[in-house]
Amino acid sequence: MEANRDKSPSHPPRGKGALRRACGRVPLLGWLLAILCAVLLEHYLGKALADLLGLRKIPVLLGVVTILKKPLLMPKTVLFVFLIYALPIGLTARLIREPANWLAERLMRMPVLIPAAVHLAILYAILHIWGDVSAYRVLTLKLTLIAVMLTLSLNVINGYMGEFSCSHPGFMALGAYATSVFTVGLFATDKIFGPALLPEALGVYLFPVALFLGGMVAALGALVIAIPSFRTRGDYLAIISLAFLFIVKSMIENLEFVGGPRGLSSQPDYASLPMVFSACALCVWIINNFVRSTIGKALNAVRDDEMAADAMTVNTRRTKMVAFMFAAFWAGVAGGLFAHVLRYVNPATFGIQKLAEVLAMVYFGGLNSVYGSIVGAVSLSMLSEALRPLEIFKWIIIPLLLILVMIFRPTGLIAFKEFDGRRLMQPRNRPDNEV
Amino acid sequence: MRKGLKWIAAVSVITLLLAPVAWGKAELIKVGINAPMTGDIPKVGEGSKFAAQMWLEDIKAAGGLDVGGVKHPVELVIEDNESKAESAVKTNTKMITEDEVLVIVGPQSSKQAVPAGDVANNYKTPMISPWSTNPDTTKDRPYVFRGCFLDPFQGPVVANFITNEFGFTKAAVLYDVASDYPKGLAEFFKKAWEELHGPGSVVAYESFTTKDADFSSQLTNIINSGAEVLFTPQYYNEVALIVQQAHELGWKKPIVGSDSWGSAETIELCGAACHGLFFSTHYAAAGATGKTKEFIDRYQAKHGYIPDDVAALTWDALGIVGQAISTCGKITGDVEDDRQCVRDAMAKIKEYDGITGKMTFTEEGDPIKCAVIVKISDKGEYEFYKSVCP
Repeated sequence: MEANRDKSPSHPPRGKGALRRACGRVPLLGWLLAILCAVLLEHYLGKALADLLGLRKIPVLLGVVTILKKPLLMPKTVLFVFLIYALPIGLTARLIREPANWLAERLMRMPVLIPAAVHLAILYAILHIWGDVSAYRVLTLKLTLIAVMLTLSLNVINGYMGEFSCSHPGFMALGAYATSVFTVGLFATDKIFGPALLPEALGVYLFPVALFLGGMVAALGALVIAIPSFRTRGDYLAIISLAFLFIVKSMIENLEFVGGPRGLSSQPDYASLPMVFSACALCVWIINNFVRSTIGKALNAVRDDEMAADAMTVNTRRTKMVAFMFAAFWAGVAGGLFAHVLRYVNPATFGIQKLAEVLAMVYFGGLNSVYGSIVGAVSLSMLSEALRPLEIFKWIIIPLLLILVMIFRPTGLIAFKEFDGRRLMQPRNRPDNEV
Repeated sequence: MRKGLKWIAAVSVITLLLAPVAWGKAELIKVGINAPMTGDIPKVGEGSKFAAQMWLEDIKAAGGLDVGGVKHPVELVIEDNESKAESAVKTNTKMITEDEVLVIVGPQSSKQAVPAGDVANNYKTPMISPWSTNPDTTKDRPYVFRGCFLDPFQGPVVANFITNEFGFTKAAVLYDVASDYPKGLAEFFKKAWEELHGPGSVVAYESFTTKDADFSSQLTNIINSGAEVLFTPQYYNEVALIVQQAHELGWKKPIVGSDSWGSAETIELCGAACHGLFFSTHYAAAGATGKTKEFIDRYQAKHGYIPDDVAALTWDALGIVGQAISTCGKITGDVEDDRQCVRDAMAKIKEYDGITGKMTFTEEGDPIKCAVIVKISDKGEYEFYKSVCP
């Protein structure tokens, strides 16, 4: 996840500081390799260093939890984070700047898929090695990646199309239940659906199919919202979509064959980190292409002025329908993954609280921006995880942050910014790349 | 930059020197508490936390937990699960893999205990949920236990009590269809009642949805059905509304409830309307004797209110944990071996004498224990009425 945080220095530097200028000339590839070095260092030396410093374990989320729980350990934890992360990342990034730029340039001459695959592979390696240290990190990573998918898909409706939709947990619930019914019914022995119908070994390979089905069910459900959205806008659509959320919730509560309010458990353990990571990468890639395509521009046109868009030959009905179904599809996939990470779903999970969480991530991160969604989802998930020891004060700090963001950046942290993968991967040794 | 580095070096050397010396020989025992400190039911989390802290005081006063003649220091790891399923799973994972707790107490509500129990079972860590009533929490999970009786037991208890006490044959049920616990209990009650009095003896079986506040249409149906008693397994906020509205509509017959009534809030919200009603629960605060009274008095003196059943059940769960660790015989420091040892010791516990009754675990990890029928006195106290054993 540091990868996302550290993307910001790779943007063109605004300040004139020497440090920033030096950072600005390291390409994304360099940063990724530097972070890879740091996580490798932690993997091999972290335990020894923690023992040496008298820390019982490797600080799990960059030491924040340790500091909040035991303030006395703060200097040691800060020292650990400095020695394992800050120093190696800084040094390696500086040292490999030239080779990384050269490599990035060579890579960019090839078809764009190859450098993209290389970057993603390094990013995955970072997450994998970082998560290898503890199961808690892996779980946090998985749920964060799922939050990214959810936030991004809600941003398509609330940010790019400018409608205020409250039905996202409903789509998520549809996807979660459809996927769970598929996998539990076919590959697991449980008390509702009886013994497994197909050999369990097949399950992992058919899991993407299950996720796709979950997404499709959610997309079908989205029609219920999309059709009224032809005639209603603003507050009224928000209310309709809220009603949809309640309809889905009480429908599942009354469906005995999926367990009713008791929920559905014993999903097989298919949502591994590679699975969640590839789903998330696919989601970011496809949504990014979607919003930058003609139909994405049509969404913006509908948001800015529906009548004008109609006059300019934008088929507004089709646009709305596609946007709703597309966003719901990814929410459904995210829901399916969520159900298999927890291995339990119940309807109460998909209520107003979930809605507030996703909305907060969208508006915190920034409307109309893929960057923003990633930043919002990652920062809010990590923050709420790291501040857990504060108990009730956490619920003062996070809303306060939201209020501050709304005052100083009313559209969110990184709003209206295009996510251009190609530019992101460019070498940065020439000043003309630093636009 | 260099000055900064020097400072960091200096500060870290000083703290290294000041670091507390490791505990002597005895291994530190860590007990995890997974409780909803924030979210929908913070009062439940507070009760769990307070009970756990009282338990820790006792252990500290005794100089540590006695395992095979060695006194081991004990530390509580209290984590907030925000009353969310995913947070309960994260918290359990964190406590097991990061804090390396020996045993976990919690989560309290079933929506968290079911997924969190899966984590505990996968990591072979003993977990005891004091309050969760969903059968799935412990089903096929050798490492997961619970501290309360189950709904398939409580339903018949209430049905038998009404039949023996009042001799009624026609009952009505009003429950929340969207909530796991009331729905399950309503079904078990209906089944037990119909076994006693034949099919059709539950003359009205009415439902509503969570957060409904007006029950007049359901209550009118119930009154018109000719039922002699109303059973409503609801939480305290709904109990007050249901009882008051029933009385306004002219219902004068008894209303009977379940352990979800057992919060101090019930009587505060309901007032005189609830006086004289019965419910089944885990323990009765008024007129308690012996250890139970001792616990209630201590809790009340410290925190200013009478502990509800969650606190009492958490207290008992911790007592069971303590006994299991003691009877395990020896704590080696290898947390995986110790967890296995504690789990085996816990499964073998016979007739644990807790403040909510005597407990023996079945193979599933569910306790066999007695239920208590409580009468709400005219002073609004929960008085012991009778005890029903399986």
